[in-house]
Amino acid sequence: MNVLVLSGYGINCENETLHAFEVVGFKGKIVHINDLIQNPKQLNNYQVFAIPGGFSYGDDTGSGNAMAKKILTNLYDQLIDFSLKDKLIIGICNGCQILINLGLVPSLNKKDPEVAMIENKSGNYECRWVDVKVNNNKSPWLKNISILNLPVAHQEGQFMIPINLLKSIKANNLIGLQYINNHKKLAKGQFPFNPNGSKDDIAALTNQNGNVLAMMPHPERALYHYHVPNWQNNTPKKFGDGYKIFINAKKFFA
Amino acid sequence: MTNTIQILSIEKTGKESSLQKEHNNKSIKIIDGYFFSRNLDDQKFTKISKLISNDVSQTILTKKNINKVLSSYCNFNWVVEIKFLPGVTDNIATTVKEIIKDNLKSSFKSFELGSTKIILIKGRKEDITKISKNEANPLIQTIKIYPFKQYLNNFKKNQFKIEKVKLPKKKYSKKEINLDISDYNLSLIGKLGIEENDKSRRGTLGLDLKSIKTIRNYFSTIKRKPTDVEIETLAQTWSEHCKHKIFSAKIDDIQEGIFKKYIKGATEKIIQLRKDNFCVSLFTDNAGGIEFNKDWIICHKVETHNTPSALDPFGGAITGIVGVNRDCLGFGKGAKPIANTYAYYLADPNKKYQLYRQKNKDPMLPANFIAKGIISGVRVGGNCSGIPTPQGNVYFDDRFAGKPLVFCGTVGIIPKKIKGKLSHKKKANPGDIILMAGGRVGKDGIHGATFSSEELDPNSPVSAVQIGDPITQKKMSDVIIRELRDENLYSSITDNGAGGLSSSIGEMAKESGGFIVNLEKVPLKYNGLYPWEIWVSESQERMTLAVRPANVKKVINRFNARGVEATIIGKFIKKEKAIVKYNKTEILNLDMEFLHEGYPKLNLKTSFPKIKKEKKKIIKKSSLIVKLHKLLSSPNIVSKEFIATQYDHEVQATSIIKPLQGEGRVFGNATAIKPLFDDEKSIALSQAAYPQYAETNPYDMAGCSIDTAYKNLIVSGANSKKIAILDNFCWCSSDEPDRLYQLKEAAKACYDYAVAYQTPFISGKDSMFNDFKGFDKTGKSVKISIPPTLLISSIGVVDKISHLTKMTPDDGDILLVLGNTLNELQDSVYSKIIGYEKSKNPVVNSKDALRTYRNFEKANKLGIINSAIGIDLGGIGIAVTKLAIASKKGLTIDLKLKNKISVDQFLFSESQSRILVSMKKNKLANFKKIFKGSDYTIIGKCTGLDVVEFKDNRKIIRGKISDFAKSYKQNIKGL
Repeated sequence: MNVLVLSGYGINCENETLHAFEVVGFKGKIVHINDLIQNPKQLNNYQVFAIPGGFSYGDDTGSGNAMAKKILTNLYDQLIDFSLKDKLIIGICNGCQILINLGLVPSLNKKDPEVAMIENKSGNYECRWVDVKVNNNKSPWLKNISILNLPVAHQEGQFMIPINLLKSIKANNLIGLQYINNHKKLAKGQFPFNPNGSKDDIAALTNQNGNVLAMMPHPERALYHYHVPNWQNNTPKKFGDGYKIFINAKKFFA
Repeated sequence: MTNTIQILSIEKTGKESSLQKEHNNKSIKIIDGYFFSRNLDDQKFTKISKLISNDVSQTILTKKNINKVLSSYCNFNWVVEIKFLPGVTDNIATTVKEIIKDNLKSSFKSFELGSTKIILIKGRKEDITKISKNEANPLIQTIKIYPFKQYLNNFKKNQFKIEKVKLPKKKYSKKEINLDISDYNLSLIGKLGIEENDKSRRGTLGLDLKSIKTIRNYFSTIKRKPTDVEIETLAQTWSEHCKHKIFSAKIDDIQEGIFKKYIKGATEKIIQLRKDNFCVSLFTDNAGGIEFNKDWIICHKVETHNTPSALDPFGGAITGIVGVNRDCLGFGKGAKPIANTYAYYLADPNKKYQLYRQKNKDPMLPANFIAKGIISGVRVGGNCSGIPTPQGNVYFDDRFAGKPLVFCGTVGIIPKKIKGKLSHKKKANPGDIILMAGGRVGKDGIHGATFSSEELDPNSPVSAVQIGDPITQKKMSDVIIRELRDENLYSSITDNGAGGLSSSIGEMAKESGGFIVNLEKVPLKYNGLYPWEIWVSESQERMTLAVRPANVKKVINRFNARGVEATIIGKFIKKEKAIVKYNKTEILNLDMEFLHEGYPKLNLKTSFPKIKKEKKKIIKKSSLIVKLHKLLSSPNIVSKEFIATQYDHEVQATSIIKPLQGEGRVFGNATAIKPLFDDEKSIALSQAAYPQYAETNPYDMAGCSIDTAYKNLIVSGANSKKIAILDNFCWCSSDEPDRLYQLKEAAKACYDYAVAYQTPFISGKDSMFNDFKGFDKTGKSVKISIPPTLLISSIGVVDKISHLTKMTPDDGDILLVLGNTLNELQDSVYSKIIGYEKSKNPVVNSKDALRTYRNFEKANKLGIINSAIGIDLGGIGIAVTKLAIASKKGLTIDLKLKNKISVDQFLFSESQSRILVSMKKNKLANFKKIFKGSDYTIIGKCTGLDVVEFKDNRKIIRGKISDFAKSYKQNIKGL
């Protein structure tokens, strides 16, 4: 099982993302986008394509847009091809914004981006831990998970979805994760449980197959128990909740 | 007006929310604009629009739809258009250009592009003026205000212009400077700069008469006149910023100077006393390094960026943080930045100071604009670079109204050996190629000049302010750390900061002997720079590398493949000569010895200053609970959560003790990161400064800073044998004997306490003239000096995860104060907020302190300590309340007053070296064994109720935790 972790132009979470995959048993490589453009065939060697978090192009022209346009210009067909196979794609934070700008999720109309990522309602960058629950979703990434405690860190994490599209997203069960409050109920937009004001508390979307996951929270930053805030008060265990996402990827290919 | 086009894209919802909130006006919209230097046909217009916008969230404005789209929001009546001044780095434009070039390839060739921000508003003219003042900085941006209708007409007629840097085409001819002139004229050169042919002056060189005469003597010995480049280079190299002349000068009877005697002297003494030297690299490199584990070294450096942040707070602060990141990249063969630190010393953002640099004009930026700009500058710099920023603090005092202090630090990590060679050693060899990598060179930061906005027009590109571009740097940094370093593809590396190439190459050439540089090879942002400007420009995001000729091609290719420019600009030579050519004309030829050591040494005298006593303020009679709430909500104690949540401290997945601690999220004194996936060792970070104590007793002030920075790491669980510290002196009026006296005293304390604690200094920096000389609103001349500020940053290794402490006691825990509480309220938060009590300033007793710390460390390793917090500002009262807020668990404190001190003194004294700890009852016996003969007091217990109470026989203070939390989490007014 091999994972390709994308890097370059301000992506910055590639090391810890690769590490998370390695911990669950993947072999992997960090590949610079320019090297991938030079040799797109190398995608054949990989089962998982991961776009990590970061600040590609400094968020200029909107988070994820410039990198999405670079992929669109140079790698789009190969990536679509990848997504249509029995393979997995994950975009985390900036990676999520890139997948959204590429239209790879929710990908209901198979054309231009259908969803946009806009600035947090607070107007601030938000680095904080949140609880999310898995919606009724068949994605292999989210199998057998109910609730996750993960950190977010973003300026533009609000999913903007036209009303009609939102209806079909719900009808097709494409909402991956939703922010919940301290009573384990949907956050209903309430800050800080929902850190960005996303409609319907959406924290992640998938495509129809569920093999492509675009999520704003960072599972790779919640890999070990000592990543979790105030871990000293918890019963000792080895892993944090983020581990569950990566182990699911492994199970998919097992 | 030219035949060009602009693309405007309006966000349907979102972006303007914070602006609307701030100005209490719902009728505000923001438009992103892009100006093209050439016309676009409809097809290209559509295609490009699609590339740079998202049609789900944005609408592209066209001549056809603009009326309809905009009127659907509201009837706007004013428009502000904000553009960068020509020559100022426009990062958005660079990205847009790249997207277009990549997508349209050869079908769309050369074009210029500028980005703009347009704000629409319905409101009064005053509102729009206010908004424009808050949203733009005239030093780097042009602000134009239009009536809405006029703007629409202009848009429809394509009436706007793109302003490029238009520098007069000047042909360079070598300029020789005659120094055989009167003392008066010599001093004019030093003060105002070299005279141009049109009699204008280039801007201050900061050279005093003695220095200029030294230069004259040198050139009369070698029998020729100096060139302008030579004088500029000497001025840069000899500047206080680069040479730290005050710290190296003879001062009173200290021949070797205070750096050698007290700072470096302390470290040498400690190394001699301790047999286990864990210091790897001291003072000479861009950062100081210590051993992390058997395979890795960590380094730390803290810089200040004060003056630039006063002029352009955002640009100054972002440049500060990405600049110190480069110090890390330039440590040894290049360390990977793994954490940022910050400390801001600011004026009250809620006050209007109304200061002017010139009589009735050239106003200082408002205090809240400065504070906000600095906070966001570090946010963007740190977050965009993917470096966590866990550790920092903010302190407010009116005396920072003329000059804010902005400390930015970085921690880096590097393997001890790279391909079998020690990584912290580097040497440019004779014959090595000089390679400049990263950004291009413009007029940024030349002379760090300060000039008024009136002087700025399209023909004079900004030279005072640099703006950091973290993405360019991130791209460069990734190539260096991930690809080039570990293949050993270069022999030496250093960053380009102050003094630019003149400084980086000058420093590196010490390793080989000398250098020859061909300045015309240096890639420029725009044409028309004079050679001396290229040589000293402080354009950001550049590293200088020394590369063996055989590797040069490989290195350049590697940079280029990652979208980074790298250019051969010269070579290092064995001969101890500094040589610079421009189109084959030799314009600089100096002996390396003279360049680096030729400056006249200072001889400083100090005198005992008049102590400025704290003004007596009558204590308002109020209950203790009111006082406690007042202190909790005071700006220097109140939570800094709003900063912690906007600085990404989780990136790199290393954060294990976070800035906000406990379920109740209390802003901690120290943080910890675990930098390696395969080693449980962690790095604890903290810092401390006490400018408020400085005027009373600078020696004790420095002692307190060292004690607090050290204590915070001990409390966090660090190994006391693996703690190092950094000194950053920010002083004022350092040409005055009484300020120098304070400096000497503080430096002396640095020696005494560092040696006592055996914690070595590994790196430091100073900034000696933080004074504002200008005018108040009535036109009266004023001088505002910062209080002498010594920031001590501490870095330590935590051996095991289980050693890391927490701030949250559990039900049934008993609470103890370790250390002694004295009546030390002078200059405390209490005396400032509540009123002055007859009292003394805090003094550190290093012997007692050490006993407490060593015992604490022992007890913690044995698992006796359940929770702990260092006691500092606001004393025991605040520390107890913080524990309760963090844990959301009630505490009861019995006030058993010793030493004849009052309740107020007991609760709020800022006596040093104290720790508030909690432990299970059954651990008390073991604790007592360890702490035999050491000062401690059992003060209460954790009740698990929802109240905090302090009582003696009758109840004195009793309040709900949630109420205290409310006070502690109040917003800072003005921010």
